[in-house]
Amino acid sequence: MAVEQLALTVLMGILLVAVAGLVSRMVDWRSYTPLGGASAIGGSGYGGGHAEKPAGIVRWFTTVDHKDIGILYGIYALVAFFWGGAAVLLMRAELAAPGFDIMEAAFYNSLLTSHGITMLFLFGTPIIAAFSNYFIPLLIGADDMAFPRINAIAFWLLPPGAILIWAGFFTAPLGLGIDPAQTSWTMYTPLSAEQANAGVDLMLLGLHLTGVSATMGAINFIATIFTERGDDVNWANLDIFSWTILTQSALILFAFPLLGSALIMLLLDRNFATTFFAVEGGSPILWQHLFWFFGHPEVYILVLPPMGLVSWILPKFSGRKLFGFKFVVYSTLAIGVLSFGVWAHHMFSTGMDPRIRASFMAVSLAIAIPSAVKTFNWITTMWNGRLRLTAPMLFCIGFISNFVIGGITGVFLAAIPVDLVLHDTYYVVGHFHYIVMGMIAFAGMGALYYWFPIVTGRMYQRTLAKWHFWLSMIGTNITFFAFLVLGYLGMPRRYATYQFDGAIAPLAQVTTLHQISTVGAFIIGIGQVVWAWNMVQSWYEGPEVEDADPWNLKDDGMFGREFQWFEAQKLAADGGEEEVATDGGGVRPDGGYRRAVRRVDDE
Amino acid sequence: MVSEPDAKTFDRETLLDLVVNAIPLGIILFFILVFALVNPFGSDPVNTAIQFSIMIVTGLALLVLTYVSGKAVSEAEDELEEQGLELSEEAGADGTAETTAPAETEDDTA
Ligand code: HEM
Ligand SMILES: [Cu+2]
Repeated sequence: MAVEQLALTVLMGILLVAVAGLVSRMVDWRSYTPLGGASAIGGSGYGGGHAEKPAGIVRWFTTVDHKDIGILYGIYALVAFFWGGAAVLLMRAELAAPGFDIMEAAFYNSLLTSHGITMLFLFGTPIIAAFSNYFIPLLIGADDMAFPRINAIAFWLLPPGAILIWAGFFTAPLGLGIDPAQTSWTMYTPLSAEQANAGVDLMLLGLHLTGVSATMGAINFIATIFTERGDDVNWANLDIFSWTILTQSALILFAFPLLGSALIMLLLDRNFATTFFAVEGGSPILWQHLFWFFGHPEVYILVLPPMGLVSWILPKFSGRKLFGFKFVVYSTLAIGVLSFGVWAHHMFSTGMDPRIRASFMAVSLAIAIPSAVKTFNWITTMWNGRLRLTAPMLFCIGFISNFVIGGITGVFLAAIPVDLVLHDTYYVVGHFHYIVMGMIAFAGMGALYYWFPIVTGRMYQRTLAKWHFWLSMIGTNITFFAFLVLGYLGMPRRYATYQFDGAIAPLAQVTTLHQISTVGAFIIGIGQVVWAWNMVQSWYEGPEVEDADPWNLKDDGMFGREFQWFEAQKLAADGGEEEVATDGGGVRPDGGYRRAVRRVDDE
Repeated sequence: MVSEPDAKTFDRETLLDLVVNAIPLGIILFFILVFALVNPFGSDPVNTAIQFSIMIVTGLALLVLTYVSGKAVSEAEDELEEQGLELSEEAGADGTAETTAPAETEDDTA
């Protein structure tokens, strides 16, 4: 046994050395310099530094350019989005009828776990990092991130993280006895401590990696926003997206290390017979406290930057500056602080002390105010504005509309008596999906469309983008409104079937509502297929953007810093260097069919 | 914007901006008072202490952060004004301050 392990370790060591040797043969590491390169010092303009990128795939494995890393994050997040989406479509298919029809309970549970963890940790956080990596340095006039190499390391921790988290699905068919975890994303003890399956350990390790990655990224953003700002950017004219990323990074810094510690304690409980979360030891409730002390800030980690994106993009198509800019800034900071004082609103029904419970209700009600303030600011920004319903704008408006429902259902849940009735029903699932799908995914999509010209140098197909929006908007509201009603009818969450006693809940209605939300989920799915097609095709053959102002922002005096950078790049490109303008890394098929757009019409 | 450099940390404008965080603070304060006055579950040294410290600690943290950030922003504003630069988010990182009126954004209620 010991000999085997020793042999394995040695083998692993040899493998690693071999890989390192191989990589060092392929690339000349010395050709890279971290910060924009020594040559670029003093230049207020961006550029230089990353000029020497190796060609082909090696570039992507070795890059420390924040824009490349942003693209890597984006692609990673979208792969995860499709994994999580496929999982949930299987689940919704199973739920189209009351009994076990197409899968067993164990597989349903595995999909549920994978869907939740994937969407929150492998899609949500990385898609935000995609935008922040690419655009924060441009928005604040920095040459790059403060620590470009740490930036690259933070990204490269994610793929192994995903492989570990999904590992059970790959190993289950091999018959090794390593199956996907069935813990749900909250990993509540004692369930998660007592499942012997090694797939759970792999998932915990993978989660740990993604947490380390997020923390490294957060430190990098804090350092960048504090120290790398351009000369004429200070706290008074820092853009709103950077403010939300700064707040998010602070939340990550305080929340994720705690998750990491809790995960290690859980691993110890599982593998080394410690009793942190055992009934006779620290108690299972300790897990819930640790998890939610991380978990509630995590939901704001996910939602604050999308709020920043919308606050940035919405004014551009309203022809007016963001109403109450500073209200939005201060309420972002308020949410950041308050989100650490509300965690036990996820635990109202655990039998905790009623006095303590009441306090968590108080702070939870208080946190709703800064959220509502933002909503009113967005609405007022649009009020009497000159709205242009482009695809990014449609997604912003959809975002606000979904937040009204998602936010208000949250306030209801924060009231203890209401929560005791609705806890662990589909109502809760409806609440947070209005937010995670209706806001986070929507803002992400809107931003993808808004910045598509900068990243790819091309324009997407506008009709397809409209289809994408309407399918997503209608699908989201069908699916998740049905969830809210199902919750009122008493449908408990996380079950693969609903063949319960008709006295508990009206079975016929429950079945119908489940079918409605299955249909809605597939509508969302079709919308995302349209979107994927649009992105890929437009990246390769969309009309090239000729003008650095594809959104006509100059007319309203809203030509943001990132587009100013884009313009500078284009001017530089006209002066000779062809490569600079399309920093997207996509290969441009030269000589192919090329159309050109100068400006996008008002829709 | 009419900000005369005065001895006070915050001018009227800034105070007005900070009001937004006074509302959640007010709600927390309200509950502190209510829970102090109405006490159906009785008192218990540990639990009552936790009960109040959750609200007080979060409230204080909010107060401190609001103060610090408000101070940083209003100092930064003065700095920009001295340099004659613009306050808006869109102001160029390349130094080309646009010539639109200084954006005290919450004032432009059409
Ligand atoms: C307006 C502010 C909000 C309030 C007052 C609020 C309140 C609540 C409450 C009380 C619960 C627990 C329900 C239960 O399990 O019985 C809950 C669950 C949840 N909320 Fe919110 N929420 C708010 C905003 C958000 C936001 C912005 C997000 C996401 C970005 C979010 C994501 C979630 C998630 C993921 C859960 C379910 C966690 C789980 O049990 O799996 N909430 N919310
Ligand atoms: Cu919460």
